[in-house]
Amino acid sequence: MIEIVKHRKIGDLSYVSHKDTVDVLQRTLKRAKIDVNYSQGFVKHMVTYNTTPIPLGVQSICEYFIVDCNGVNAQEFLERFNNAVPDGLKANWSIEKKKNPNLAANVVASDYLIKCKNVVPSIIEEILDEDEYFIELLKKGEKIIKNVRPMLYSIYAEGKDLWIRSATGNDNLRIDSFVKHISNVYNIETTTNDIMRVNQLVKKGNKLISVEEYLNNEADSNN
Amino acid sequence: MENKLKEILLQVEKPARYVGGEYNLPDMNKKCEERVCLCFSDKYEIGMSNIGIRILYHMLNDMEDIVCERSFAPDLDLGKILKEKNLPLFSLETKKPIKDFDIIGFSVQFELQFTNIVYMLDLANIPYFAKDRDESYPLVVAGGPCSVNPMPYAPFFDAILIGDGEENLKNFVEYHKECKKKNLTKEEFLILASQKFDGIYIPSLNNKTTRAVCKDLNAAYFPTKILVPNCDIVHARATIELFRGCANGCRFCQACFFYRPIRERKEQLLVEQATKLLDSTGYEELSLSSLSTSDYSDLKKLVDDIKVEADKRKVKLALPSLRLDSFEAEIYEELNGASLTFAPEAGTQRLRDVINKNISDENIKSSLISAMKNNVKNVKLYFMIGLPTETNEDLDGIAQIVKQVVYLHKMYGTSKILNVSVSTNVFIPKPLTPFQWERQISLEEMKQKQEYLQQVLRIKNVRYTWHGAESSILEAVLARGDKSIAPVIVKAYEKGCVFDSWSENFDFEKWKQAFEECGVDMNYYISEIEEDRSLPWDVIDNGVTKQYLLKERHLAYAGQTTPNCMKKCNNCGAAKLGRCFK
Repeated sequence: MIEIVKHRKIGDLSYVSHKDTVDVLQRTLKRAKIDVNYSQGFVKHMVTYNTTPIPLGVQSICEYFIVDCNGVNAQEFLERFNNAVPDGLKANWSIEKKKNPNLAANVVASDYLIKCKNVVPSIIEEILDEDEYFIELLKKGEKIIKNVRPMLYSIYAEGKDLWIRSATGNDNLRIDSFVKHISNVYNIETTTNDIMRVNQLVKKGNKLISVEEYLNNEADSNN
Repeated sequence: MENKLKEILLQVEKPARYVGGEYNLPDMNKKCEERVCLCFSDKYEIGMSNIGIRILYHMLNDMEDIVCERSFAPDLDLGKILKEKNLPLFSLETKKPIKDFDIIGFSVQFELQFTNIVYMLDLANIPYFAKDRDESYPLVVAGGPCSVNPMPYAPFFDAILIGDGEENLKNFVEYHKECKKKNLTKEEFLILASQKFDGIYIPSLNNKTTRAVCKDLNAAYFPTKILVPNCDIVHARATIELFRGCANGCRFCQACFFYRPIRERKEQLLVEQATKLLDSTGYEELSLSSLSTSDYSDLKKLVDDIKVEADKRKVKLALPSLRLDSFEAEIYEELNGASLTFAPEAGTQRLRDVINKNISDENIKSSLISAMKNNVKNVKLYFMIGLPTETNEDLDGIAQIVKQVVYLHKMYGTSKILNVSVSTNVFIPKPLTPFQWERQISLEEMKQKQEYLQQVLRIKNVRYTWHGAESSILEAVLARGDKSIAPVIVKAYEKGCVFDSWSENFDFEKWKQAFEECGVDMNYYISEIEEDRSLPWDVIDNGVTKQYLLKERHLAYAGQTTPNCMKKCNNCGAAKLGRCFK
């Protein structure tokens, strides 16, 4: 059986790398005494999956941890998980599936809320009117200039809050680099740690739906 | 501080080391009359692997009205930013400047960490020398294995706590909490504490003291709910301590004599501690730790019982510090396929007798055959070079042992390939050992021996590595140094020496300059010491007597061995401190 929890990654834990976070989550399963299935290869490891990692320092309230295990239902899994996980990774939602819904491949976008110290100028929304928008990014330690406009789906300013919807997954916009760039261009006072991923989205036809909606309804057809 | 830290954390490597927030974090908001910050003079991943830090941190936090936090030496990138931004060194739990604590306690594990003490004090804006600190500063104390001879770093501290921290740190902190209410000065408190408790050395008083010892390890504090780091550390595993002290009496080994008397934990208690630790941490490995694990009274039963619990949880067992002579094939069978680490230390029987490593060629052979039959794939062998009376014949003996390992694998091995790693360390004459009076071989001799071994160990699937020669000289100087070394440590730090135990940071030239500029001769500390000369560490009674060590030295030169203490008490003197092995 596949158990899925939606957990946060906030505060001190936002500074923990993706690889270390996976270790923390797997130790959580041990402490929670979940009967996890192991791979059958030479080096046996727990069968668990995650969604696309967020950059170091970015916080999130919508990470998904997928576990291949036995003997628990979704509610029990959630309770046991929360009793054994560090505070910054607590979960608030769970579901049980028969098959791995492969969220890493199906999630195509994320919503981010960026809390700023000053009012965000609404002119920032005009980025969407451009056909191209080039920023400097780091790729394997090398600086590259890339057109990120195709990966930017929406951008909306509301007082000191900035909302961004951008590509996640195979085509992935590094949200920390993008926010750093626009904060310089538009004089926005914010840091990487002020970015919060608030929603992960799956494509259904022409629409983007939340992972919960996908798992509650759509993913069933895969079962 | 927390907000400023957020901004800089993403500019440094592995920020998770500096944020705390680990699982099993004690309550930092409890009612508190005394705040202690435990400082570890190396990086987070080293400090969090240390069993002593684990014990003392949780012990203090479990005490009434006491809160203990941690601080580790920040890596150079963060250290530089803290300096540039004029931010003080902080604790991981509440991000409070360590200067604001009541007591700062350094755990000093290793001589090459001495400059890191100065580094941390510097970052904390605390004057290096105790004499320069007034009542506005916290008490700065030290403990740990290097307190065998604390003299080189003693001037930095108000007090050195010698011996088991479960005894003297507990007493010291509790008594300080009491004395704070009476408004005593630091000096008044230190005098009273040193009179009241064992193992409290006050450098400014140069008082005689006796090492503090937990007489009964079964009753001693041991945490079964420990912090689980959120990032990778050197030993990411649960650890239980089987016993303290060592019965073997290898004549070069400081730990063997320092941790005596020998005190075992009961098998049932160990199983209970192991089970609770595994449940509270989720670790996938459990280490059965001690100085010589196979000397535990009933290791077979212990391993059997713990293995039942470990298997239920899919946990691997690790048994470090096995001795060739007591290596039990049955135990190895239990751990089928694991890599095998042995430390014969010397290549010939003659030299092993000199150093009192009581294992014979026959022991080595039979143990290796058992291991080979049990599917061993990796063998790691540790030796020392530069031991007293060593000749080239002894170095050839190292190659002989390695060739024998390869041959036995061909004859008896069940694994396809066998990888052999051979590592040599340079002998360092350490205080409180029978070899404390010995000279250390010169840099040229070290290099010659290492080159010689490189040649004779050119064997297929054998990898030879060695420990740096220059750093071994510095380690010897710092190990046997006196109080005149402290200004040299500061001078070396000012020249940029920090994290000296990390080879990429070690700069021997800067150290040599520091010694020269301070007018201190390094050679004095690595030359042979006359037996009647008084030693800097004589002021501390560590249990084992100087007469016993001297007798052992003479036996070494006569090529005579001393039996394991479990067979017969050799009257080393440690039994007066507590319960020795029955």
